[in-house]
Amino acid sequence: MLEVFIFATLNGLVTGLLLFMLASGLTLIFSMMGVLNFAHASFYMLGAYFAYSISLYLGFWGGLIFAPLIVGALGALVERYLLRRVHEHGHVAELVFTFGLAFLIEEAVQFFWGPDTKNYRSPDILDFPLFTLFGQEFSAYRGFMIGISVAIFIGLYHLLTRSRIGIIIQAAITHPHTVANLGHNVPLIFMGVFGVGTALAGVAGVIAGPVLTTFPGMAVVLGSIVFVIVVIGGLGSLTGAFIASLLIGLLQSYAIASDLGMPDLLNLLGLEFGRDHPLTDLWTLSLPQIAPIMPFMLLVLVLIFRPTGLLGKREQ
Amino acid sequence: MKQLLTKSLVWIAYLAVLLILPQIFNSVLAITIFNQMAIAIVFALSYNMLLGQGGMLSFGHAVYFGLGGFMAVHALVMIEFETFYFSIIYIPLIGGLIGLLAAVFIGSFSTHKAGTVFAMISLGIGELVAASSLIFVSFFGGEAGVSADRTYGPPFFGIEFFQDIEIYYLAAGWVFIATLFMYLFTQTPAGRMANAVRDNPERAEFIGYSARKVRFISFCASGFFAGIAGGLFALNYEFITEENLNAVTSGRVLLMAYIGGLGYFIGPIVGAVILTLMNSLLSNYTELWMLYLGIMFVLTVLFLPRGFAGFIMMHRVAWVQKRMQSLVMPYLLTGVPAMITAVSLVAIIEMLHHRGEEFHFLLVTLSSTSVFSWALVLAVAGASIYAVRLSLPRLHSAWEDANKLVDADEDNARP
Amino acid sequence: MSILTLKNVCKRFGETEIIRDVSLDIEKGERHAIIGPNGAGKSTLFHLISGKYALSSGDISFHDQSIANKKPYEIARLGITRSFQVTNIFPRMTVFENIRCGLLWNQKYGYSFWHLLGRQQDLNAKTHALLEEIGLGHRAEIPAGELAYAQQRALELGIAIASGAELIMLDEPVAGMSHSEAENAVALIRKVTEGKTLVMVEHDMNIVFDVADRISVLVYGEIIACDTPQAIRSNARVQEAYLGEVAADA
Repeated sequence: MLEVFIFATLNGLVTGLLLFMLASGLTLIFSMMGVLNFAHASFYMLGAYFAYSISLYLGFWGGLIFAPLIVGALGALVERYLLRRVHEHGHVAELVFTFGLAFLIEEAVQFFWGPDTKNYRSPDILDFPLFTLFGQEFSAYRGFMIGISVAIFIGLYHLLTRSRIGIIIQAAITHPHTVANLGHNVPLIFMGVFGVGTALAGVAGVIAGPVLTTFPGMAVVLGSIVFVIVVIGGLGSLTGAFIASLLIGLLQSYAIASDLGMPDLLNLLGLEFGRDHPLTDLWTLSLPQIAPIMPFMLLVLVLIFRPTGLLGKREQ
Repeated sequence: MKQLLTKSLVWIAYLAVLLILPQIFNSVLAITIFNQMAIAIVFALSYNMLLGQGGMLSFGHAVYFGLGGFMAVHALVMIEFETFYFSIIYIPLIGGLIGLLAAVFIGSFSTHKAGTVFAMISLGIGELVAASSLIFVSFFGGEAGVSADRTYGPPFFGIEFFQDIEIYYLAAGWVFIATLFMYLFTQTPAGRMANAVRDNPERAEFIGYSARKVRFISFCASGFFAGIAGGLFALNYEFITEENLNAVTSGRVLLMAYIGGLGYFIGPIVGAVILTLMNSLLSNYTELWMLYLGIMFVLTVLFLPRGFAGFIMMHRVAWVQKRMQSLVMPYLLTGVPAMITAVSLVAIIEMLHHRGEEFHFLLVTLSSTSVFSWALVLAVAGASIYAVRLSLPRLHSAWEDANKLVDADEDNARP
Repeated sequence: MSILTLKNVCKRFGETEIIRDVSLDIEKGERHAIIGPNGAGKSTLFHLISGKYALSSGDISFHDQSIANKKPYEIARLGITRSFQVTNIFPRMTVFENIRCGLLWNQKYGYSFWHLLGRQQDLNAKTHALLEEIGLGHRAEIPAGELAYAQQRALELGIAIASGAELIMLDEPVAGMSHSEAENAVALIRKVTEGKTLVMVEHDMNIVFDVADRISVLVYGEIIACDTPQAIRSNARVQEAYLGEVAADA
């Protein structure tokens, strides 16, 4: 029992931190520009694919260094030349644009790399068990994933709160006009934030690719969950996104690992239904079955009772 | 009175087109495509009640379409086994009622706000329902979906609906009725206030209307008509799966409405027609049609934010001022090269896709290993781009001239 | 007879108190102006009355019925209507439709989805009449967003009075207008508020003294004076608030 719990916690941590890497970029972009970037997970996918291609020549570490840079540059270009154009047409147009972009990137990925799953593998150097607990191994690669996520966040935190550019960014998030009047190049800042945000998504892709498999549908799988996180955490709140990411990562992990279900609940209540009962699907529901949709259930509940999310600040 | 006559003419023409089309194009393929268009038109129009008229961006509209469709298929099964026995002409109505019920339930908590919150709730609900449909296998049939046979019902004036064309006329009838009622809705207080709430929810409140209630009504109406579309789907395909409830279908209807043009009633009709044609015809010629669709979508959002209907309506001023003729030549001079550029770019993409393999492209055979192919395609692309650049200024000035308001000075003089 | 009563109304945003203990009685049929330096809280007061903001404490009653925490649409239905400082119309709808929407609730159409507006002769006639009254009859079919500024302000006024409300609140109705435009606007305001109660926020003193029966002066969220225009003119505190101590001593 305890081993299941520990490993579920560790796996939940890995997932949660990964989700936060995506959610933080999305939150930054939303805070700054009011745009919920539907294509954010697509940049995550591009990160994995670029890293895969680069890794064929320069190994995993080459991919880790260069892929995020390429993705970030692409993101900056998208902001500068495409998103800015659409911005004039209003928020709906922006959302629809990023939605279309996500669609386009998915098709483009299939065009350039093919529809099959890519054999993007974690580096051999990390292919050993970090520790063994109760007979189960925890791979060093996952430890690496946790490590690098935490390192990036600490770096990001320092950048935002301690450095000059970070303070300017924080100011530009809430008062772009004031910051512009102070002489700062706000459009450049926007472009930079978008680039960094997408680069973060790219890093997530680089390290998640080997574990979560690299295939054209990978953006769709994570994309909606990242939105759920950002909305639950509260649009515009990094802390909220952090809490929500870990919450969802852990909840899903526990749900999948347990084998509790409706039968147990019914037992508790002393009820029983025959196999022919029309709602038999409901009575035989198990926790692992609903694990994939738990984020959405949580989303709907939060939006009904607390539309601004857990720690929400900015309302559209 | 004259206005009424013109308006009636439009509807008569619409009905006439619906009735005559399969007589002109009467191949099996054509009828299939027309049936698909019918379903798409009703679905897209219902979506626009939310987005174009109500300002509510939904990423989960397929829920009402799908639920309506599933219920409709089950109703067909019930007819087959004579649990209930009635003509299948009422099936779309059943779909509509289920769509309405679902919308009433979901709308009760999701219409408090528009904007991002609404979009996110719709996304969440969409995913929930789609996922639930794979769990509740008894109603949704799991991965295999549910199927039925539409030929068991009582004959309708002797028609037993064995043939696709008979289904087409039934669908055409429903499309006409649905379009009419959706249009009439826009002419009612509820419909107009939906526009007002879209434009300025705060102001709408200050003239006595609860923005939330207005949205709720639009939401329910839109769910009803989406359900009708689902019912038509069930009749046409006699089969429905989880795919028809999920985010892909929701995305598709968004695309249709947007490409057609949100701000105009006929926009979604235009979008539905274009998308159905691309889906059925283009997919026969190339595997990459989804890529082209994606490119077209992004380009539309960037350059034609009002969609194709919007593009046509942009010429209203020029039409009224009888200056359309002055635009014909410039459009040809820029338009034709632009189309050639597009075609050559498609050729390049196809060449890359085929990786050395030979393939037929329009009148030529191309291959990415052939120098001749590259030379031809690049030359054509280059020349046409150059032609576009040369002719663009002329189009610009012709456009300005055609749109210059003749009575602009008169207007400024007034107090 | 007072139709609108504010009693010890306070409004705080976080720590900052914007409206401090405001009490005010608006008499039926009067033309009441609210003046005060920028940032005094005049618009906030309007927002409190019309239901956009909730009161932090105190009460507002209309015809002796508390409207303190009602929603804007409930308050509008009771017979209070308002215009906005920043033009607040329905830009994508035509001028005609803007006015017609303003009439809908009052003409008892509610949320009907079975009445075809094209056929509602009485409603359409009333819309045309109102359009003529505000001088926009010739612009009926133009999208409201394309009107010139002064015309948009006229439309704003038109929407406000379309509801047939008995208490009309106008927030800086002539802001940004030229002198002649403002003159026309004031004439229009007088005409359409005939027999109704008018509360107006305004900066232009000429207009205020011309139109108002009584004036309330709001400074830093407090009403420092509420009296006839003559009395306000010679009120030392008011002079001080506007011009500083020097003027008061003079």
